[in-house]
Amino acid sequence: MQVIGEPPISETMISLRGICKCFSSNIVLKGIDLDIRRGEVVALIGGNGAGKSTLMKIIMGIYQQDKGDIYLNGEKVNMVKPSVALIHGIYLVPQEPMLFPNMTVEENITIGFPNKKSELHTRIVAIMDQLGWKIKLDRKANTLSIAEQQLVEILRGLLRDSKILILDEPTSSLTFNEVESLFKLIEDLKKKGICIFYITHRLSEVFEIATHVAIMRDGMITLKGPVSDFTKDDLVKGLLPPETKMKTSEKSEALDYTNLKPILQVQNFTGYGFRDINLEVYPGEILGVAGVVGAGRTEFATTIFGMDDVKSGHVIMDGEDITGASTRTVLDKGINYVPEDRYQNGIFKIGDVGSNLSSAFLRKSSKFFLNFKSEKQLADDYIKNFRIKVTGQNQVMGSLSGGNQQKVVIARALSTLPKVVILDEPTRGIDAGARGDVYTIINQLKKQGVAVLLISSDFEEIVELSDRAVIMYQGSINQSFIREQINLDNLTAASFGVYEEDGNE
Amino acid sequence: MKTLKRIFKAREISSLTFLIIMFLVVGAVNPAFLQIRNLFLTFNGSVVFVLLAVGISFVIITGEIDVSIGATLGLAAAVSATLLRGGSPWIVALIAAILVGIGVGLINGIGVTVLRVPSIIMTLGVNGIVRGAIYVYTNGKWVENIPFEFKALSQASIFKTVTYFFFCTILFMLLVHFILTKTRQGRHFAAVGDNMQGANLIGIPVDKTKVIAYIVSGIFAAIAGIVYVSRVGFVTPTAGNGYEMKAIAACVLGGISLAGGVGTVVGATIGAIIMASISRVLVFLQFSSDYDNTITGILLIVIVVADSLIQRRICEKARRERLSARTLSEVGGKGDE
Repeated sequence: MQVIGEPPISETMISLRGICKCFSSNIVLKGIDLDIRRGEVVALIGGNGAGKSTLMKIIMGIYQQDKGDIYLNGEKVNMVKPSVALIHGIYLVPQEPMLFPNMTVEENITIGFPNKKSELHTRIVAIMDQLGWKIKLDRKANTLSIAEQQLVEILRGLLRDSKILILDEPTSSLTFNEVESLFKLIEDLKKKGICIFYITHRLSEVFEIATHVAIMRDGMITLKGPVSDFTKDDLVKGLLPPETKMKTSEKSEALDYTNLKPILQVQNFTGYGFRDINLEVYPGEILGVAGVVGAGRTEFATTIFGMDDVKSGHVIMDGEDITGASTRTVLDKGINYVPEDRYQNGIFKIGDVGSNLSSAFLRKSSKFFLNFKSEKQLADDYIKNFRIKVTGQNQVMGSLSGGNQQKVVIARALSTLPKVVILDEPTRGIDAGARGDVYTIINQLKKQGVAVLLISSDFEEIVELSDRAVIMYQGSINQSFIREQINLDNLTAASFGVYEEDGNE
Repeated sequence: MKTLKRIFKAREISSLTFLIIMFLVVGAVNPAFLQIRNLFLTFNGSVVFVLLAVGISFVIITGEIDVSIGATLGLAAAVSATLLRGGSPWIVALIAAILVGIGVGLINGIGVTVLRVPSIIMTLGVNGIVRGAIYVYTNGKWVENIPFEFKALSQASIFKTVTYFFFCTILFMLLVHFILTKTRQGRHFAAVGDNMQGANLIGIPVDKTKVIAYIVSGIFAAIAGIVYVSRVGFVTPTAGNGYEMKAIAACVLGGISLAGGVGTVVGATIGAIIMASISRVLVFLQFSSDYDNTITGILLIVIVVADSLIQRRICEKARRERLSARTLSEVGGKGDE
């Protein structure tokens, strides 16, 4: 806990001191100190998993901190549940609006208030007039667009006369005009002395509305202070890990593209969550797909894999158009997808390791009765090659560590002998040792001539492995880099939408 | 004018239309059905189901389910019937029955909220326990010889048409409807069923609300048990068996969504009247009333499937809208190569 240099707690609206939080073995927050005073807007930026949302949920009483204290107007407060935070005038507008879909707009805003309905109605109308927002109050919430829902959430917070508003990426689904009116509103609120925590992925917004900025990385605040003290470049630097030692030695030979024909081509591909994607992948190439969460990378991958509808464009695999094909067809054509959330989509948790490994291979090995011998052989091979740590093939999948589970999932994808593998966040939540093993596996794939699409928010991973990289930003590819250009600076700048051709070398 | 429009848009209207059409169709086949006397018999006969359906509405609106109400009805009936037979005043019997309802509801509520047992499993288990308790309590024998005066209560009627029971039940139901729609606590039930996390976020006590819903459900089942005793005049150990399906079907038919958050007790009441009249309808159509349960089951499934298909489409649409909102609205910032 470092109190030196912090303002005295009594002068602040809310002060956090030494906030720590773990989820099982995963340390999410490692001692956060943060203050906000009347009329300040603190922009909170940072990559995915930096701990921004967790921190805000602790302030709101949704989670409880393991260590550390929260002070409101100088007094220590225990935020044991959201209702306590509400009483203290804190309101969180979540990124995904949490309205009651079957209630009207007005009911949604007024629920939980003790006041008279007519009185509340007049106040809502007054607030909306002041903002120039137009939403019919008798509409059902499930007919609202996502942007309108967000406005309703904000109205809720305003009607509560909240003194501390937390806005979690409020602009991520608003249109340009709505963003303008939101910013005007924030200016108003500032003057009224309301303080705002503003989580965003857009650096330009920081300079537009924030008074202060705090950058979070790996559960720590790496940089904070008045916005006027910083430039965009400073912020980008703050987002980067300090002096990362790159294990570039292992980086394999550069690809010679002259004789290669792309194995997978995506042309003007548009679907739900992404638009106009053009890219091609060559055999034996690792193509990094970088970007922040919500940039549309996973949707892009699952749509290729036949799990969602295509709006327009083409997917061409080995010269054959497979746009909109079913998952089974896509698999048969030689594309395999290893999902991001291995618990939900990846593993058969109560099955044993052997059957997990061979489950995708069954269609090739067996007609009707299972061919146990070839199943066992296959599983043994992968356990050995991938260094999967198990007591035996019959160990239950759920008892493996995250890293070993991930190896099993990748191995299973490979057992179908794919030509293209899409790996979605392959090393999220696994330890350093297993990470190295996964990298070795990915490099092995490359040597075997498999094309790898590597989706990752871990830019070090993209730098270490990729032959080329594209960056997705708000659903489109806004940059693509060749091998020499791939570095943390470029990737970070581009995925936060502030890459400039000459600004970075 | 505005109120009129709102009334016609309400989900209950389709249930009411269904009820009227059903009556007209049956009346067309067998005009005897539409005689005033018969219609009132139908309404008066629905009291038990109306009470059950109104009670379970609370639970369903909070997004849970309660399949123990049939057994709760049975136990409350058995307990109150033995008390009445022993000469206790009817108010004592009523209070005893309500205590049974509160007890069962509390157990259900605690199991679902504190112990986090899925509600279908929790209430199914409680259903078994309570049904077993009836056998233990009555030694498996019928409870008969209920005082005549108490049995006569169910026949007492206003203007020789509507029984007091039906009249009071409807008044009671309207009162509950008022509480649910016009009070703060009442709105919490729908809020919890509509979006549990959201409710938590704005400070609604989610667990407490659910426990109250189960207790209300238990109390209504118990009152239904008393009415049952008066109407039937004796209690068998299987009294109320299977009534939970009728009550759930009544709610669904009345426009209450099994996903929670949507519906009113007015709708549940209309649904319950439909459910209670099915066996009568079958008789007038000269079918065997043995089809009663089968038809109830079919209705239940058809409506739920239709409803969930609509819900799924709405969800999928919302998800896609959300994803589309994230992408840049115009094509810009394409790759430089």
